[in-house]
Amino acid sequence: MPIGPEHVGRSYPSTAPYRVSRAKIIEFASALGDDNPAYEQHEGPLTAPPTFAAVIAASAWGAMFDDPDLGLSLQRTVHADQRFDVERLMHEGDDVTATLTITKVRNRGATDMVTIQVHLATVQGEPLCTATSTLLNNRQVAE
Amino acid sequence: MSAVAVAVGDELPELVLTITRAGIVHYAGASTDFNPIHWSDRKARELGLPGVLAHGMWTMGACLRIVTDWCGSPSAVLDYSARFTHPVQVPDDDQGVRVFVTARVTELVGDIATVAVDARVDAVQPEESGTGNSAARVKVLGNAKAHVRITSDVGAVSSQNAGGAL
Repeated sequence: MPIGPEHVGRSYPSTAPYRVSRAKIIEFASALGDDNPAYEQHEGPLTAPPTFAAVIAASAWGAMFDDPDLGLSLQRTVHADQRFDVERLMHEGDDVTATLTITKVRNRGATDMVTIQVHLATVQGEPLCTATSTLLNNRQVAE
Repeated sequence: MSAVAVAVGDELPELVLTITRAGIVHYAGASTDFNPIHWSDRKARELGLPGVLAHGMWTMGACLRIVTDWCGSPSAVLDYSARFTHPVQVPDDDQGVRVFVTARVTELVGDIATVAVDARVDAVQPEESGTGNSAARVKVLGNAKAHVRITSDVGAVSSQNAGGAL
Protein backbone atom coordinates (compact mmCIF):
# COMPACT_ATOMS: atom_id res chain seq x y z
CA MET A 1 0.00 0.00 0.00
CA PRO A 2 1.46 3.35 -0.99
CA ILE A 3 1.09 6.47 1.07
CA GLY A 4 -2.43 7.91 0.97
CA PRO A 5 -4.71 10.43 2.64
CA GLU A 6 -5.26 7.95 5.49
CA HIS A 7 -1.70 8.68 6.63
CA VAL A 8 -2.41 12.36 7.26
CA GLY A 9 -1.75 13.08 10.92
CA ARG A 10 0.90 10.42 11.29
CA SER A 11 3.76 11.71 13.40
CA TYR A 12 7.15 10.34 14.34
CA PRO A 13 9.18 10.50 17.54
CA SER A 14 11.28 13.62 17.92
CA THR A 15 14.88 13.45 16.78
CA ALA A 16 17.73 13.36 19.26
CA PRO A 17 18.77 16.87 20.31
CA TYR A 18 20.98 18.75 17.85
CA ARG A 19 23.39 21.26 19.41
CA VAL A 20 23.64 24.39 17.25
CA SER A 21 27.32 25.25 17.17
CA ARG A 22 29.18 28.46 16.46
CA ALA A 23 31.31 26.70 13.85
CA LYS A 24 28.28 25.32 11.99
CA ILE A 25 26.56 28.72 11.86
CA ILE A 26 29.70 30.29 10.41
CA GLU A 27 30.11 27.44 7.92
CA PHE A 28 26.46 27.55 6.82
CA ALA A 29 26.35 31.34 6.39
CA SER A 30 29.60 31.15 4.44
CA ALA A 31 28.11 28.50 2.14
CA LEU A 32 25.20 30.86 1.48
CA GLY A 33 27.66 33.67 0.76
CA ASP A 34 25.92 35.71 3.44
CA ASP A 35 28.07 38.00 5.56
CA ASN A 36 25.29 39.38 7.74
CA PRO A 37 26.88 40.43 11.05
CA ALA A 38 24.43 38.23 12.96
CA TYR A 39 26.18 35.14 11.57
CA GLU A 40 29.77 36.31 11.84
CA GLN A 41 32.35 36.23 14.57
CA HIS A 42 31.40 38.57 17.37
CA GLU A 43 31.13 38.38 21.11
CA GLY A 44 28.10 36.55 22.39
CA PRO A 45 26.08 33.81 20.76
CA LEU A 46 25.73 33.84 16.98
CA THR A 47 22.34 33.65 15.27
CA ALA A 48 21.71 30.97 12.65
CA PRO A 49 20.33 32.00 9.23
CA PRO A 50 16.55 31.38 8.95
CA THR A 51 16.97 28.57 6.43
CA PHE A 52 19.37 26.70 8.71
CA ALA A 53 16.16 25.22 10.08
CA ALA A 54 16.05 23.05 6.94
CA VAL A 55 19.21 21.25 8.02
CA ILE A 56 17.73 20.05 11.30
CA ALA A 57 14.27 19.52 9.77
CA ALA A 58 15.76 17.17 7.18
CA SER A 59 17.19 15.03 9.97
CA ALA A 60 13.57 14.16 10.83
CA TRP A 61 12.77 12.97 7.31
CA GLY A 62 14.52 9.63 7.78
CA ALA A 63 11.83 8.20 10.05
CA MET A 64 9.16 8.84 7.42
CA PHE A 65 11.21 7.44 4.54
CA ASP A 66 11.97 4.37 6.65
CA ASP A 67 8.26 3.82 7.44
CA PRO A 68 7.40 0.56 5.60
CA ASP A 69 3.71 1.53 5.40
CA LEU A 70 4.39 4.44 3.05
CA GLY A 71 6.61 3.08 0.30
CA LEU A 72 8.54 6.35 -0.04
CA SER A 73 12.08 6.63 -1.33
CA LEU A 74 14.31 9.64 -0.87
CA GLN A 75 16.04 8.78 -4.15
CA ARG A 76 12.74 9.13 -6.03
CA THR A 77 11.71 12.31 -4.24
CA VAL A 78 11.77 15.88 -5.49
CA HIS A 79 11.48 18.85 -3.14
CA ALA A 80 8.66 20.97 -4.60
CA ASP A 81 8.24 23.77 -2.11
CA GLN A 82 9.39 24.94 1.26
CA ARG A 83 8.10 27.27 3.94
CA PHE A 84 9.56 28.44 7.24
CA ASP A 85 7.45 29.98 9.99
CA VAL A 86 9.86 31.40 12.52
CA GLU A 87 9.10 31.75 16.22
CA ARG A 88 12.65 32.76 16.95
CA LEU A 89 15.87 32.13 15.07
CA MET A 90 18.16 29.49 16.45
CA HIS A 91 21.23 30.57 18.34
CA GLU A 92 24.54 29.00 19.09
CA GLY A 93 24.08 26.68 22.05
CA ASP A 94 20.44 25.78 21.40
CA ASP A 95 19.65 22.07 21.72
CA VAL A 96 17.00 21.45 19.09
CA THR A 97 14.69 18.54 18.38
CA ALA A 98 12.64 18.02 15.23
CA THR A 99 9.21 16.39 15.09
CA LEU A 100 7.70 15.44 11.75
CA THR A 101 3.98 15.19 11.00
CA ILE A 102 2.38 14.29 7.66
CA THR A 103 -0.21 17.01 6.99
CA LYS A 104 -1.44 16.38 3.44
CA VAL A 105 -1.25 13.58 0.89
CA ARG A 106 -2.51 13.64 -2.69
CA ASN A 107 -1.97 10.83 -5.19
CA ARG A 108 -1.70 11.93 -8.81
CA GLY A 109 -0.99 9.03 -11.12
CA ALA A 110 2.40 7.65 -10.16
CA THR A 111 3.23 10.70 -8.06
CA ASP A 112 2.53 11.08 -4.37
CA MET A 113 2.41 14.69 -3.23
CA VAL A 114 3.26 14.64 0.44
CA THR A 115 3.20 17.72 2.64
CA ILE A 116 5.05 17.46 5.93
CA GLN A 117 5.49 19.82 8.82
CA VAL A 118 8.59 19.60 10.97
CA HIS A 119 8.34 21.42 14.29
CA LEU A 120 11.65 22.52 15.71
CA ALA A 121 11.84 23.28 19.41
CA THR A 122 14.45 23.48 22.11
CA VAL A 123 14.73 20.57 24.50
CA GLN A 124 13.17 22.96 27.05
CA GLY A 125 10.08 23.08 24.82
CA GLU A 126 10.46 26.55 23.34
CA PRO A 127 9.12 26.56 19.76
CA LEU A 128 11.65 27.79 17.20
CA CYS A 129 10.39 27.15 13.69
CA THR A 130 7.93 25.14 11.65
CA ALA A 131 9.43 23.93 8.38
CA THR A 132 6.76 22.86 5.90
CA SER A 133 7.77 20.95 2.78
CA THR A 134 5.94 19.47 -0.16
CA LEU A 135 7.72 16.41 -1.53
CA LEU A 136 6.89 14.69 -4.81
CA ASN A 137 7.55 10.97 -4.59
CA ASN A 138 7.55 8.98 -7.81
CA ARG A 139 6.29 5.46 -7.16
CA GLN A 140 8.09 2.56 -8.77
CA VAL A 141 6.30 1.79 -12.02
CA ALA A 142 6.06 -2.01 -11.74
CA GLU A 143 2.86 -2.04 -9.61
CA MET B 1 21.35 52.59 10.74
CA SER B 2 18.43 54.92 10.86
CA ALA B 3 14.79 53.98 10.77
CA VAL B 4 13.64 52.26 7.61
CA ALA B 5 10.73 53.97 5.92
CA VAL B 6 8.88 51.37 3.94
CA ALA B 7 6.14 51.73 1.33
CA VAL B 8 4.32 49.31 -0.92
CA GLY B 9 6.10 49.20 -4.26
CA ASP B 10 9.56 49.78 -2.82
CA GLU B 11 12.21 47.91 -4.77
CA LEU B 12 15.02 46.36 -2.75
CA PRO B 13 18.61 46.71 -4.00
CA GLU B 14 19.25 44.01 -6.60
CA LEU B 15 21.49 41.09 -5.71
CA VAL B 16 23.48 38.95 -8.13
CA LEU B 17 24.65 35.61 -6.75
CA THR B 18 27.12 33.23 -8.35
CA ILE B 19 27.07 29.50 -7.75
CA THR B 20 29.91 27.23 -8.89
CA ARG B 21 30.57 23.54 -8.42
CA ALA B 22 32.83 24.48 -5.51
CA GLY B 23 29.98 26.46 -4.00
CA ILE B 24 27.67 23.46 -4.27
CA VAL B 25 30.21 21.27 -2.51
CA HIS B 26 30.54 23.91 0.19
CA TYR B 27 26.75 23.96 0.69
CA ALA B 28 26.55 20.15 0.65
CA GLY B 29 28.99 19.98 3.54
CA ALA B 30 27.43 22.84 5.47
CA SER B 31 23.90 21.47 5.09
CA THR B 32 24.86 17.77 5.21
CA ASP B 33 22.78 17.22 2.05
CA PHE B 34 25.00 14.86 0.07
CA ASN B 35 22.46 13.81 -2.56
CA PRO B 36 24.60 12.79 -5.58
CA ILE B 37 22.56 14.94 -8.00
CA HIS B 38 24.50 17.81 -6.42
CA TRP B 39 27.96 16.44 -7.19
CA SER B 40 27.79 13.70 -9.84
CA ASP B 41 26.81 14.39 -13.46
CA ARG B 42 26.56 10.64 -13.94
CA LYS B 43 24.12 10.18 -11.07
CA ALA B 44 22.11 13.22 -12.11
CA ARG B 45 21.75 11.92 -15.69
CA GLU B 46 20.71 8.50 -14.46
CA LEU B 47 17.72 10.28 -12.93
CA GLY B 48 16.94 12.11 -16.17
CA LEU B 49 18.44 15.42 -15.08
CA PRO B 50 20.68 17.42 -17.40
CA GLY B 51 23.58 17.44 -14.94
CA VAL B 52 24.62 18.59 -11.48
CA LEU B 53 22.11 20.94 -9.88
CA ALA B 54 22.50 23.45 -7.10
CA HIS B 55 20.58 22.60 -3.94
CA GLY B 56 17.15 24.21 -4.00
CA MET B 57 17.74 25.14 -0.39
CA TRP B 58 20.95 26.93 -1.37
CA THR B 59 19.00 29.04 -3.84
CA MET B 60 16.24 29.74 -1.34
CA GLY B 61 18.66 30.51 1.48
CA ALA B 62 21.07 32.62 -0.55
CA CYS B 63 18.23 34.65 -2.09
CA LEU B 64 16.90 35.58 1.35
CA ARG B 65 19.94 37.79 1.73
CA ILE B 66 18.25 40.40 -0.47
CA VAL B 67 15.68 40.75 2.32
CA THR B 68 18.01 40.57 5.32
CA ASP B 69 20.55 42.98 3.75
CA TRP B 70 17.67 45.42 3.35
CA CYS B 71 16.05 45.06 6.76
CA GLY B 72 19.37 44.51 8.54
CA SER B 73 18.40 41.77 10.91
CA PRO B 74 17.53 38.18 10.00
CA SER B 75 15.47 38.14 13.22
CA ALA B 76 12.97 40.44 11.49
CA VAL B 77 11.99 37.61 9.13
CA LEU B 78 8.74 36.07 10.35
CA ASP B 79 8.25 33.59 7.55
CA TYR B 80 9.74 32.73 4.18
CA SER B 81 8.34 30.45 1.50
CA ALA B 82 9.07 29.45 -2.08
CA ARG B 83 8.37 26.84 -4.71
CA PHE B 84 11.28 25.23 -6.54
CA THR B 85 10.08 25.83 -10.07
CA HIS B 86 13.23 25.40 -12.15
CA PRO B 87 16.49 23.68 -11.24
CA VAL B 88 19.73 25.65 -11.30
CA GLN B 89 22.08 23.59 -13.44
CA VAL B 90 25.73 24.33 -12.72
CA PRO B 91 28.36 23.42 -15.31
CA ASP B 92 31.82 22.19 -14.37
CA ASP B 93 33.64 25.42 -15.18
CA ASP B 94 35.16 28.32 -13.27
CA GLN B 95 32.43 30.85 -14.01
CA GLY B 96 29.45 29.06 -12.50
CA VAL B 97 25.93 30.39 -12.86
CA ARG B 98 24.60 33.77 -11.88
CA VAL B 99 21.29 34.10 -10.07
CA PHE B 100 19.65 37.50 -10.48
CA VAL B 101 17.60 38.40 -7.44
CA THR B 102 15.13 41.26 -7.19
CA ALA B 103 12.51 41.97 -4.57
CA ARG B 104 9.78 44.45 -3.82
CA VAL B 105 7.42 45.30 -1.03
CA THR B 106 3.96 44.16 -2.06
CA GLU B 107 1.96 44.74 1.12
CA LEU B 108 2.27 46.57 4.40
CA VAL B 109 -0.04 45.74 7.29
CA GLY B 110 0.86 47.53 10.48
CA ASP B 111 4.58 46.92 10.92
CA ILE B 112 4.61 43.73 8.83
CA ALA B 113 5.86 44.06 5.25
CA THR B 114 5.35 41.39 2.60
CA VAL B 115 8.39 41.16 0.35
CA ALA B 116 8.10 39.26 -2.94
CA VAL B 117 11.41 37.82 -4.12
CA ASP B 118 12.18 37.04 -7.77
CA ALA B 119 15.18 34.86 -8.67
CA ARG B 120 16.17 34.05 -12.24
CA VAL B 121 18.97 32.41 -14.17
CA ASP B 122 19.89 32.75 -17.82
CA ALA B 123 17.82 30.30 -19.82
CA VAL B 124 20.73 29.24 -22.01
CA GLN B 125 24.08 27.87 -20.95
CA PRO B 126 26.35 30.56 -19.50
CA GLU B 127 29.04 30.21 -22.16
CA GLU B 128 26.47 31.08 -24.84
CA SER B 129 24.58 33.76 -23.03
CA GLY B 130 26.97 36.71 -23.03
CA THR B 131 25.68 39.17 -20.48
CA GLY B 132 22.20 37.74 -20.84
CA ASN B 133 19.04 39.73 -20.86
CA SER B 134 15.99 39.50 -18.68
CA ALA B 135 13.79 38.14 -21.48
CA ALA B 136 16.01 35.06 -21.71
CA ARG B 137 15.92 34.35 -17.99
CA VAL B 138 13.80 31.80 -16.21
CA LYS B 139 12.44 31.95 -12.71
CA VAL B 140 14.00 29.44 -10.36
CA LEU B 141 11.79 30.22 -7.37
CA GLY B 142 8.01 30.47 -7.61
CA ASN B 143 5.94 32.75 -5.42
CA ALA B 144 8.89 33.39 -3.13
CA LYS B 145 8.02 35.77 -0.35
CA ALA B 146 8.89 36.75 3.17
CA HIS B 147 7.01 38.60 5.85
CA VAL B 148 9.27 40.99 7.70
CA ARG B 149 8.67 42.98 10.86
CA ILE B 150 9.68 46.56 10.26
CA THR B 151 10.88 48.31 13.39
CA SER B 152 12.42 51.71 13.89
CA ASP B 153 15.69 50.14 14.95
CA VAL B 154 15.74 47.36 12.37
CA GLY B 155 19.32 46.97 11.28
CA ALA B 156 20.63 47.30 14.81
CA VAL B 157 18.90 44.34 16.40
CA SER B 158 20.90 41.47 14.95
CA SER B 159 23.48 41.25 17.70
CA GLN B 160 21.32 42.55 20.54
CA ASN B 161 18.42 40.25 19.91
CA ALA B 162 20.50 37.14 20.39
CA GLY B 163 19.04 36.08 23.72
CA GLY B 164 15.36 36.81 23.28
CA ALA B 165 12.38 35.73 21.32
CA LEU B 166 11.35 38.00 18.49
